[in-house]
Amino acid sequence: MPGKNDPEETGVTTVDGRRNEDVWVVIPVFNEAPVLESVVRQVLAVFPNVVCVDDGSGDGSAEAVLRTGAHLVRHPVNLGQGAALQTGLTYARVQPGAQYFVTYDADGQHRLEDAAAMVDVARSGEADVVLGTRFAVHADSVPLIKRLVLRLAVLLSPAGRKLRLTDAHNGLRVLTRPVADQLQISMNGMAHASEIVSYLGRSKWRVREIPVSIRYTEYSRSKGQSLLNGVNILFDLSVRHRG
Amino acid sequence: MLIQFVLVLAVLTIMYVFVRRSHAIYVQASKRIALVLFALVNVYAVMRPDDLTAIARLLGVGRGTDLVLYALVVAFMAGMFSMYQRFRVVDRRYTELARTVAIREAELINRERGLRAAQVVSVATGDGDRSPVVSEETVR
Repeated sequence: MPGKNDPEETGVTTVDGRRNEDVWVVIPVFNEAPVLESVVRQVLAVFPNVVCVDDGSGDGSAEAVLRTGAHLVRHPVNLGQGAALQTGLTYARVQPGAQYFVTYDADGQHRLEDAAAMVDVARSGEADVVLGTRFAVHADSVPLIKRLVLRLAVLLSPAGRKLRLTDAHNGLRVLTRPVADQLQISMNGMAHASEIVSYLGRSKWRVREIPVSIRYTEYSRSKGQSLLNGVNILFDLSVRHRG
Repeated sequence: MLIQFVLVLAVLTIMYVFVRRSHAIYVQASKRIALVLFALVNVYAVMRPDDLTAIARLLGVGRGTDLVLYALVVAFMAGMFSMYQRFRVVDRRYTELARTVAIREAELINRERGLRAAQVVSVATGDGDRSPVVSEETVR
C-alpha cells in the first residue's frame, strides 16, 4: 500500500536526496515540453540521478531538460519509447553506484510516493523487479474502456498470466541492477511493455506488483496512447525478426 | 474444391513460418529456393500454357491464368512478410547506430554541464542478443 510507508522512511520528504544516490530514474521524453521541466524538478527532489532520453522531440523538450540538473541523452531521430527506455538504461547502468533503475513517464502521471515505495520494496531484497499496477486498489481512477483493454492485454499474454500480473502496461517500474544489466529491449515502439513482461516471464527474476495510482490529467489523457495501437503492438510482437 | 484447400494451406504455412523462431540461414535459404522455383514454374507456365490449364482443371480452377493469379497472391503475401522482417533487421541496426551516437554526444554535453557521467564503451550488441560492453570507469 502506498500509504503504509512513512514519508520519512521512503525519503520523499527528505530534502537531501543522499538516500537515493544509488537510484537512477529513466524518463523517456517525446514532445513533453509543457510539463517536462516541472516533472523533472519534482523527481530530482527525491531522486538525485535522473536521465531523460529525448526521443527526437521538436518542441524544446531537450532545452527543458537542460534547465534542470538531469542528464540528457538525445536521440538524433525519433526511434520510439522502447528504444528510448533502452538508451536510458544503457546510459544509467554504467554510472558508478547505480543499483536501482526506475522507469518513469514524462507526462507526470505517476506519483513519486509510489516510485519511492517501489524502490523500498526492491531495496528490501524481496523482489528483483517491482512493477506498478493500476488495478489493485485504485482501479476506479482508470477509464473503463482502458481498464478492460489493459486487463485483456494481461490475460492474453502467457507471461502475464504466469506472473499473475494485473497490469502489464504501467510505465512505472523498478529494476534491480542484475535485471537492468540483462534486459535488452528490442521493441522500439510501444510493444516494449509486453516485451518486458514476456522477458520477465521467461526469466527467474522475482517480480512483485505494487499498487500505484495514475493521475489521468487532461494533459496525460491527451498524450496517452490510443487503444487502437494495441493492434500494432500485437502485430509487432508476433512477427519478430527472424533472418 | 482442391484449390481452396491448397490456397488456405499455403497461407497458413506462410503465417506459421513467419511467426515461429528459426535459424536465419535456414530461413534465408528456403526463401531463395522458393524464389527460384517460382521463377522456373513461371517460365514453364509461359512456355506451355496448355499444361498449366490442365493443372488448373485438376485443382478445380477454370483457367491456367486464374491459377497464376492465385499463386501470385500467395507469393505476394510471402514477399510482404519477408520484406517486413528484413525491415525489422535494418531498423534494429539503425537503432543501435542512433543509440551509440546519442550516448556519445550525451557524455560530452553532460560533462560540460558539470554532471558526472561514466563512459559507455560500446552499446553495439550485434544481433541484440548479447549484453553491451560497458566500462566501469568514471570520467570526471
